[in-house]
Amino acid sequence: MNRSNDRPKIKRTSISAALNLVFAVIILVVIISFVISVNFVIKSERRAYAVREAQMALTTLSNSLSSNISNYSELSRLIMIDDSLVTFLRADASTVDFGVINDARYGIMNILNVKEGVDCVLVFRNDMIMLATDRAAYSYESASMQTDLWKESIYEGKGRAVVGLNSYGVASRKDGLPVITIGRAIYDMYTQKRTGILLMNISSDVLSRILRQGSYHDVCLVGTNGEYLAGNKEYMKYYSADYAGNEILNRNVLTPGGNKLVSGCLVEGLPIVMLYVSAYGSESIPYGIIQVLIILMLVFMAVAGFAGAYVSRNITMPIMQLSGSMDKNKKSGELKKLDVEMPYSELNLLKGDYNDMIDHVNELIDTLVDKEKILRRAELRVLQEQIKPHFLYNSLETIGFLAFDAGADNVHEALETLGSFYRNFLSKGNRVITFGREVQIVRDYLSLQKLRYGDIIEDVYDIAPETEDFNVPKLILQPLVENSIYHGIRLKGEKGTIKIVSRLDDDILYVIVEDTGVGMSKEQIQKILSKDRNDRDEEKDSSFGLWGTIERIRMYCNDDDVVKISSEVGEYTSISFAIRSVPAVSGVEEDEEIV
Amino acid sequence: MKRSYRVMIIDDEESARRLMRAAIKWETFGMEVVGEATSGIEAINIIDELRPDIVFVDISMPFMDGIEFTQIASERYPGLIIIIMTAIDEFEYARKCVSMPVFEYMLKPMVRAEIMKVVERARAKLDAGGTAVKYSGPDDATDAEAHDEDSPYAGSDGETSPGELVKKYIEDNYTDPKLNLAYVAQHFGFSASYLSRKFKQDTGKNFVEYLTEVRMETAKKLAGKGYKMFQTASEVGIPDPNYFSRCFKKYTGVSYSDYNR
Repeated sequence: MNRSNDRPKIKRTSISAALNLVFAVIILVVIISFVISVNFVIKSERRAYAVREAQMALTTLSNSLSSNISNYSELSRLIMIDDSLVTFLRADASTVDFGVINDARYGIMNILNVKEGVDCVLVFRNDMIMLATDRAAYSYESASMQTDLWKESIYEGKGRAVVGLNSYGVASRKDGLPVITIGRAIYDMYTQKRTGILLMNISSDVLSRILRQGSYHDVCLVGTNGEYLAGNKEYMKYYSADYAGNEILNRNVLTPGGNKLVSGCLVEGLPIVMLYVSAYGSESIPYGIIQVLIILMLVFMAVAGFAGAYVSRNITMPIMQLSGSMDKNKKSGELKKLDVEMPYSELNLLKGDYNDMIDHVNELIDTLVDKEKILRRAELRVLQEQIKPHFLYNSLETIGFLAFDAGADNVHEALETLGSFYRNFLSKGNRVITFGREVQIVRDYLSLQKLRYGDIIEDVYDIAPETEDFNVPKLILQPLVENSIYHGIRLKGEKGTIKIVSRLDDDILYVIVEDTGVGMSKEQIQKILSKDRNDRDEEKDSSFGLWGTIERIRMYCNDDDVVKISSEVGEYTSISFAIRSVPAVSGVEEDEEIV
Repeated sequence: MKRSYRVMIIDDEESARRLMRAAIKWETFGMEVVGEATSGIEAINIIDELRPDIVFVDISMPFMDGIEFTQIASERYPGLIIIIMTAIDEFEYARKCVSMPVFEYMLKPMVRAEIMKVVERARAKLDAGGTAVKYSGPDDATDAEAHDEDSPYAGSDGETSPGELVKKYIEDNYTDPKLNLAYVAQHFGFSASYLSRKFKQDTGKNFVEYLTEVRMETAKKLAGKGYKMFQTASEVGIPDPNYFSRCFKKYTGVSYSDYNR
């Protein structure tokens, strides 16, 4: 039988296919998580790298700015002790005139010639008499000048330089450019009394120059008041007051050009915020880590593959093997136990269960066979009861006597023949009878048929005496004779002869049944002798008796070629067969008369 | 006085036919057994002459069994009462019979009382009338006259006469065992009696005589060639060799085997 036919149509995957799927999913998950983690690592690594870069840059820049501003502080100290300025500061208010102020101005300007970048120096006496080196470039806020508010942080410096922005708000450049202002409280050298305030404005160009010299292209300098001072003005948009601290603040900013890191802090001691912007560079990809991850992943995949192969070899293969053995067992038609060795206890359990089942099935079959045997015996008894037709025989005898009494001898004779025919025909239900009885059946049958059809049939017997006790399956002769009548002689419309010959040779019975009927064509003979049941159906009605008898002889002799037919159309048909002596089957006893 | 109903018995077993004939007192039913046939083949050949009202037919006969005969007869002779007899109680036979207009299905060995009951019923049906079978015969000559005008082949337009036409048809089809007067009449659209009369008128011969003549002349030729009787019988459209041998002897005066010698 086709294996696929007796399986349900539901599509089921095999274990190995399921495992493969699972492994595929695992590997996929691993690859995805690998990519995600690598991405994450790269990102954080690159950020960390950018942060370090920024810190370095900012520290260096901060130092550079501080030292530059310190230089200017030194310069302001020099100005503070300039004689003409001291004179200006010490002079009585009434004696301060244009000359004194101008002397002081020139004195300061002489000092300033030493260094570039100073935009303007303003000096206020305590009485707020002011001098300025570049008075014209500024406009002055007299109102705020008169208050003490702006002086406070400078006074707190007690003579040290205090850096602020835009002249502390008392003056601003007319062109609006921002300046960095170093403020100092001036004390008299002798009296140690505060005599005034010095403001030194440094141009923001100084800052730009420092950035240029240091190649700080990604830097923007912003005043703590949020005013642009120098550097890349683009970066002003990233500024916020949060950056105005001493600690470096790092922030990620998403720009059209990609992720950027904005770092910023105050320049130490100055009211200036540095903003440093850096892109995450590819130079920061941590190849080492990625390599390790790839190796790990490959190892994992190898392990998964190995696990798959392991499962396949140690579970799927044995199961297939087990199934194969079962299948072979099924095909062999015998229900034997399996003796394949299984590598695992679970599979051995399966094998054991199968073997147990085989045992059980065999047991069931045995039981069924036993039951069937008992049933058969019972049925046979019923059958035997039926075929002991005492009533029929007795009636035949009675009617026979009536006929005899009335002088109808032929009726008496016919009834006798009928009784004899039935006794032998039934033979107490035995399957095997002697050949002599078989011949007697034919004799009775033919004499009754002759009564029916007149004398169109002539029967000839050539029976060797030693064949009469030979055991043969019951009713192998009569159907052949019947066939001779109905499919041979009667179709010819002429008188015909049926001849039965038997011989015994070397313990083999040879029988020939021959008739002079219409004969058979080669095709008919072939069909009759065919073992193919499909050849039979159309002719079932007409020659089933002949075919069935041939089958029975074949089965009895266990030989398909035991029956032979020879014929000539319009002349004769001859059917011959040979039966080897078969040891008497138990249950076949010597027949007794039944009447 | 009412005519007696005509009974035909078809059985391959002579004793069975004779028993049937003898066991029933047919005249008490107003019936007479007008003929017997030993096979379906013979029955088809002689039924037009016997003109039965009731037919008893055995199922198991060689050459043409009772089933086949019943199929043919019920088509050609509507109103014919067909009673099937069989020794084989097989469902398949009964099933086939149910699909045909069979009057009764009887199992052998038959019991007289049962036969009489069936015959009584058959008579009642025939008495009720309207079911008389139409055969050719002298008594329905007037009926045949009526057909003269309707017949497409009638008239004197000088074309081939119906007799000649049928003659030709017989010569072409005599090998068909089912051929008989009623069949040919149906084929040409005549009534059987009209055809019978017209055939005689046109050819000077009786239909059945002519058919037999054609067959037997062919048979003689085949016999001359050394054909076996059953082979010749089959060749000339009478596959039943028993009936054929009787036909042959009747026609030639000698038996086939003697003629063949």
